[in-house]
Amino acid sequence: MTTKSRRDFLKSTGYGVGGLALSGMLPALGTGFGAAYASELIDPLAPKQPQFPAKAKSVIWLHMSGAPATVDLYDYKPDLIKLAGQEVPPSFLKGIKTSTQGGVGKLFASKRTWNQHGDSGAWFSDLLPNLAQHADKLAFIKSSTTIGATHDISIMKLNTGDLNPGRPTLGSWVSYALGSANPDLPPYVVLYAGKREPRGGGVNWASGFLPAVYQGVAFRPGASPILHLDRPELVDAAQQRDSFDLLKRLNEQRGARYPEDTELQARMRSYELAYRMETTAPEAVDLSKETAATKALYGLDDEATKDYGTQMLRARRLVERGVRFIQVVSGTLDINGDSRDWDAHQDLEQNHSTHAKAVDKPIAGLLADLKSRGLLESTLVVWTSEFSRTSYGQSGSGRDHNPWGYTQWMAGGGANAGFTFGQTDEIGLQSVGKKVDTYDLHATVLNLMGLDHLKVTFLNHGRSERPTVVYGEVIKELIA
Amino acid sequence: MKPMTKFIKQANLAILLGISAMTVMAADEKPAPATDAAATAAPAAVADDKPASKAPAKLAIKPWWAYQPVQAQDVPTVKQKQWVRTPIDAFVLAKLEEKNLKPSPEADRAAFIRRATLDAWGIIPTPEEVKSFVADRSPQAYEKLVDRLLASPHYGERQARRWLDLARYADSTGFQNDTTRPNMYRYRDYVINSFNQDKPYDTFIKEQLAGDEIAPTDPNVIVATGFLAGYPDNYNSRDLVQRKYQITTDNTDTIGEVFLAQSVACARCHDHKFDKISEKEYFQLQAFLANTSEIMDIPAPVGAQEIEYRKQLAKYQEATKDIRAERKAILDPVREKGLKYYRERYLTDSRVSIVKPESEWNPHDRWINHRLDNVTTEEDIAAYLDVAGTQKESTEYDPKLTEKYERYKKLGEDLKKFDKLKPAKGSDKITAMTELGHPEAPATFKFFAGDHERPLEEVQPDFPAAIANGEKPVIVPTATSSGRRTALANWIASSKNPLTARVYVNRVWNEYFGKGIVSTVSDFGKAGEKPTHPELLDYLADNFVKEGWSVKKLHREILLSSVYRQSSGSRADAFKADPENRLLAVFPRKRLDAEQIRDSLLVAAGKLNDTVGGPSVFPPVPKNLGAGNLWEVSTDTQDFNRRSLYVFTRRSVAYPLLETFDMASPQQVHSKRSVTTTPLQALALANSDVVYEWSQNLAGRVINEAGNDQGAELDRLFQILFARNPDKAEKDTLLKFLAGHEKTIKDKAESGKFAIAVPIGVKEDKQLKDPIRASAFVDLVHTVANSNEFAYRN
Repeated sequence: MTTKSRRDFLKSTGYGVGGLALSGMLPALGTGFGAAYASELIDPLAPKQPQFPAKAKSVIWLHMSGAPATVDLYDYKPDLIKLAGQEVPPSFLKGIKTSTQGGVGKLFASKRTWNQHGDSGAWFSDLLPNLAQHADKLAFIKSSTTIGATHDISIMKLNTGDLNPGRPTLGSWVSYALGSANPDLPPYVVLYAGKREPRGGGVNWASGFLPAVYQGVAFRPGASPILHLDRPELVDAAQQRDSFDLLKRLNEQRGARYPEDTELQARMRSYELAYRMETTAPEAVDLSKETAATKALYGLDDEATKDYGTQMLRARRLVERGVRFIQVVSGTLDINGDSRDWDAHQDLEQNHSTHAKAVDKPIAGLLADLKSRGLLESTLVVWTSEFSRTSYGQSGSGRDHNPWGYTQWMAGGGANAGFTFGQTDEIGLQSVGKKVDTYDLHATVLNLMGLDHLKVTFLNHGRSERPTVVYGEVIKELIA
Repeated sequence: MKPMTKFIKQANLAILLGISAMTVMAADEKPAPATDAAATAAPAAVADDKPASKAPAKLAIKPWWAYQPVQAQDVPTVKQKQWVRTPIDAFVLAKLEEKNLKPSPEADRAAFIRRATLDAWGIIPTPEEVKSFVADRSPQAYEKLVDRLLASPHYGERQARRWLDLARYADSTGFQNDTTRPNMYRYRDYVINSFNQDKPYDTFIKEQLAGDEIAPTDPNVIVATGFLAGYPDNYNSRDLVQRKYQITTDNTDTIGEVFLAQSVACARCHDHKFDKISEKEYFQLQAFLANTSEIMDIPAPVGAQEIEYRKQLAKYQEATKDIRAERKAILDPVREKGLKYYRERYLTDSRVSIVKPESEWNPHDRWINHRLDNVTTEEDIAAYLDVAGTQKESTEYDPKLTEKYERYKKLGEDLKKFDKLKPAKGSDKITAMTELGHPEAPATFKFFAGDHERPLEEVQPDFPAAIANGEKPVIVPTATSSGRRTALANWIASSKNPLTARVYVNRVWNEYFGKGIVSTVSDFGKAGEKPTHPELLDYLADNFVKEGWSVKKLHREILLSSVYRQSSGSRADAFKADPENRLLAVFPRKRLDAEQIRDSLLVAAGKLNDTVGGPSVFPPVPKNLGAGNLWEVSTDTQDFNRRSLYVFTRRSVAYPLLETFDMASPQQVHSKRSVTTTPLQALALANSDVVYEWSQNLAGRVINEAGNDQGAELDRLFQILFARNPDKAEKDTLLKFLAGHEKTIKDKAESGKFAIAVPIGVKEDKQLKDPIRASAFVDLVHTVANSNEFAYRN
């Protein structure tokens, strides 16, 4: 094929078909992405089998940044409402280190109305009317606990299990253990609402001591999600195709001297993967082909839900394309003139009604859409936060940080739908009975991915490290 | 996946053979329930098990090799005597001869100078440097080259980058706010200068660990303690007692790993499973650091940078005088209440120290209150005014303050408008670790399972017995300091310490040969690998000390060895006998690291700004990075072309072009650069506007230097990038590309989108007649710069 006819060939096959279009002219790549891995090349992202049959193929990790008060969303506490305005009975504060001297305010109830939903009879407040319709899809963890009084520390723990930077995040462990199901996209993608990267940045999707290839790739807002995805302004696709063909030839001519060097061969191939990624990545986040009904389902037709809905719809598209771990960080919204996340030390009413509205319909839409496409069974959706908020008030209108007892949930991907695990005390402050710490949640998620958290190990400085540090227990009841 | 499956296999094997019951148990062992602080202690270490194939049973009887004193070595006798240029060669050759392997022939001179320049300087040589070395017929040609390389400030820059990886160097604190540390670059420059002056390594150690005690009035020495002060930090932490513990832990673990290659951290939560370091001994190490506090306002010696900084700062202060005065006047009346409110927001055990009057402070209280001072700002008072002025439900609410807060906020917006007047970079202060003028140190306790809220017995500073071989710390307090760190530094920097010299020479060896003699460069413990050439390691360590801990002499010997001079050409016989090339029958090729790639592209483009030292800079980043004010691109475009080690290290925002090529993570000690190969790297080099612009510059340079002769241009391009000429087949490939590519570019013109890239910087008399051909040439240059050969050191 001449250069020209090759371009014509690309054009005639739509140019966006990635592997399919290219396979005809690049014999080394074989056909489709499965075959691209058939070569003997050492590829750190080559797909690997789970350790035992996996229930979930993908995870969507919904991080509610800033820490929502789950006593205002899921954890219905009639006693808290009854006792509102009174001092916290000392018995409830036993065993915990409250963070502020002046801060332990009186018990505080927000203006919620509560109802039970679905066959499971799960409670939802009026802040999440859409999600409530999916009550029977959720497996609740109502005795979540964690560590820390500061967001960044606890966010790090939520993602890496450690309070200091340096350990790999859960998504990194997943890509390390399972590789990529689609070589045209990274196996671990981070989405965020809002215009800028979440504070604290890459540490929360870093690969830590694992090789950098396993770190999360932040997908940026807009049409071009990956850094350096767009060609230089003055280089068009045909030019780059020419250049990459030349590159291949030069590399082959010189590489013949080092026949055993698989690294050189991998580097050669990485340009072809990059070339395909230039089309597959924008296509993966391009919502223009989604129907109006789908867009409406995710709330894209409403300014209040559009941003988060876009992330949810992108997440679904990434799941369809085999991405293993999608970490979605909620953003900041305008709360009385300030840009704030869920961190409602004051004005909880305004804060939580705004944030809940932003995520409620999009998450409900995601669950419905995954279900109708037959993807929910193999996609684990997890609602998490770095901690939650206290049952007692702060500043008269808000709540302080609560790492002692709160709600998270899982849906799909083999989670025990309709089940509720654990509980908090009568005022929703501390977990009672069996608690679920970050490590347990990580162990359970890995289990659903077909991985034993004790056996996913990496030798670092002579230490065999695992995702759950030295803790973690799979919560079997959460698994269907 | 490889290491993991390998490990699992070994673990299973262990179960089958029943060799290492302990190892197997460790993987399933369940720790005590995680209390708040136990997990603070984090990577505790039940997972410390090591591959069972190295069963510890027998080793327990014989003392561990790395804890034995370094022994002077006899140089082995070898058959191929004429190959031996340095004792190193004899040690390596002896092992090769045992396996009946011959070393490889010498690399050709051009390949050698490219290799040596990349290794010693971190950049590619110029064609002139290559030519002159190739043509040098003197018997001292190699010595002259090596001495020239070691004499250049580029040597110090390159070695500093390696050291900064270990020192987890950054220009910011990390965590969510990731506050800029404007003084830290002075530590970076100290490291560069130390290597360039060939400061003896023992002095280098002592200054970094105890510069403030050794030379309390010398700013050039105090600055070295930036090594300790570089820990990741979050100024908004409300638990200052925990912070102190975490900082001390960072320092202890960093010291253990960097100087002694010991993962002492394991012993924080339990007695070390493989190395004889007990929990108690771990906290005894922490005790050396118990009295250490960060101080950020030591006046720096005034030079051009400081003068410029102050001039700019004065401008800003003058322009904002009234606004700042009014803001202060608003805060003053609520200052006391605001401060009280703010301080009450610390956790219980922090507040114990905070509320004490200064006269009653013990050393621990002093630490806590100094820390509080370091992190308290006007913003904390303003935050109180916000609550008191606007939060109607708050007990602090005072309607009289509402207007004041609004005014304060408005003034803040006005003030922001002057931000561009602030000095864009630099400082006039030094950050260091000191003991705040007090010799009495707080007590250090052993903690139950590493949990700082569960102290057990008090411990005193002491060295781990297994390593110390009977040596005890000699602590001499000074009037202003406990003297503890000096004692620690003296022990580490002693010729008698069995680890220090071995660990360092092994790190240097690792830089040249891609693999240490001990491949686990930061773990000389029992879980680490054993040395492939133990005699060579001891020879190097012994000689290093004998030569006065001269780092340059160590580099010189390696650079002039026959081992280093070997060709990297593939050899089937060597590959078969030693597939991992542990015996070094072939020189190991290596992908360039992140900084070598970027800096060499700058050199090739003729754009490198080779200023040494100074405040860190912010080169442009892709538009969609979204880093906001954490990455404000430098206004001075000269800054764009500085060497990579001067690029600002923001802990939460890695500079993308470097990050993708496996740059060091600044969160913890980074011992070894990994080499991964990803499509994201290909995207970065192929698509980055910056790299493309450098290619345009390189194209311009080639045209200027080669004239309008196609063959000469291709020769020149290859000379610049690869230190060689293209062969006939390569030339044919390139010419064919040009012909086809001109057509592609013409097609683009026909489609109506005619904007093309042309070479940059072409001299008047060399201007090309044909812009399309010139544009095709830019793409050719860009492609050649993307090739494997450029990205490798052969």
